[in-house]
Amino acid sequence: MGGENEVKRTPIFLLTVALLMLVMSLAALLLAIGTYMMQKTIDLVNIVLSSSAIALSLYLLIQIRKRPKRLDFETSKVTTVIRCVNCDYNSTREFEKGDYILKEVGVCPKCSGSLLIHSIFREVKEKSSK
Amino acid sequence: MFTEALMASIQQGNMQDTVGWIFQLIWVLAFVFIWIYGQRIQTVLMLKEIEGSLYKLKVMRDRGRQITISTIKEVGKPDEDPEPRVDRLLEHVDIEPVTLDPTGVIRRLEHIINVREFKLRDEVRQMAPRADEMQINNLANVLETALALNQIYKIVRHYYLMGKKTLSFYVILQIQMILPLIMRESEAFISALRAFTLGQPIGDGAGALVAARLMQGKEKRIIAQDTVVSEVDIEGRKAYVIKARGPGGNVGKPGEAIRQIIEEKEGKIALIIIIDAAQKLEGERPGEVAEGVGAAIGGPGVDKYKVEDIATKYRIPLYAVLIKEGIEDVISTIRKEIVDGVEEAIERIKRIIREKTKSGDAVIIAGIGNTIGISQ
Repeated sequence: MGGENEVKRTPIFLLTVALLMLVMSLAALLLAIGTYMMQKTIDLVNIVLSSSAIALSLYLLIQIRKRPKRLDFETSKVTTVIRCVNCDYNSTREFEKGDYILKEVGVCPKCSGSLLIHSIFREVKEKSSK
Repeated sequence: MFTEALMASIQQGNMQDTVGWIFQLIWVLAFVFIWIYGQRIQTVLMLKEIEGSLYKLKVMRDRGRQITISTIKEVGKPDEDPEPRVDRLLEHVDIEPVTLDPTGVIRRLEHIINVREFKLRDEVRQMAPRADEMQINNLANVLETALALNQIYKIVRHYYLMGKKTLSFYVILQIQMILPLIMRESEAFISALRAFTLGQPIGDGAGALVAARLMQGKEKRIIAQDTVVSEVDIEGRKAYVIKARGPGGNVGKPGEAIRQIIEEKEGKIALIIIIDAAQKLEGERPGEVAEGVGAAIGGPGVDKYKVEDIATKYRIPLYAVLIKEGIEDVISTIRKEIVDGVEEAIERIKRIIREKTKSGDAVIIAGIGNTIGISQ
């Protein structure tokens, strides 16, 4: 799998360009502030250009330095519901290996009927969306 | 005094003008640079994004392989190391039949699917000699999931490396656009590995669960390969309820089973109802039940074709009851909402039977889907 070593390289050229842009735009902004302090005139074009360049270079830097997404995989709780075939008895417990739906798992404590696994499911907590 | 102040002011003005000019020039150059290299910068950023996802896919692929090997070792207690065989199977390729001449393509496709299934189970059987039939089915599902993860990883890597080599915006754009969907699907495959390893029912088994509920406690017989049928009295009608044989992971041959029952009854079937899981649209609730007409059978189309063909031959109405679920739920452990949907689907089936058939009629109810973790 030859290409795998290339996967985690940082684009040095783009990083240099973004850093250079950030330094230059900061200098331009400072110059605009200096002009305002000395002459009390606002260099609007310079302020707008330098602020937008700062925003753009910061965005580029964030994108370049962004780490890969976390690699944890969600494991939800799985529940097994057991019901009696004769009466209304039912119980719930955590899933155990070997469980399957309609498996006989014992005798009903209320009526001595057969206890079957009625359902197995996982419960998902929905992420709130705006 | 006045003259000095004026000179200083002029000099300061000149210097500021010069600095201003330099910055103007730099900005112009920067804009020209972005104008020329803008797409390349975007390309590099997109490659960076793909790179992060590719890394995650690689971890998923490796985890799939590792889970497969450890499950085979745990369940099958093999005498020899299964790793080389698993690695060989992860590179397995299916070649679709030629469609230039479409005559008999379904029959040829079915043959290839049967050969694939047989080969996969046979390989699992050899790797896990102490596994029972149910465990072999589940292990085959685990192996198929690991295979899918490997294929996804390799395809994304192919586009990534190709994009990097050519720096072609459009090559990279293709994979970048569908990357969120690929990641969702891959995450579903990882959840599926857990479900298949533990033998838990999955979202795709919603249809099979409906059939299992209907045939519970009734006599069953094998009607086609890995497929059972049970004769059940529902609302005064004789219902032939079909599902794949569980609780091992398999989908059976519902198309063949339906065809055989109809042939046995010489076409005297009033109605066919097919229950299957269907992909929900964004905004729809998981477990929502919808009704329709037609053969609601997913997969490569062999079973769907058989049902449509035989239903058309005898002019039997085909009804569908669909249980909606997201792509990530199809192969993950079944959600509570889908189990609730199963109960609603049963009520809908009864209502359809009452409304569309007469007392004493014979109907076919087929629960489609992978029956892992669901007995009968």
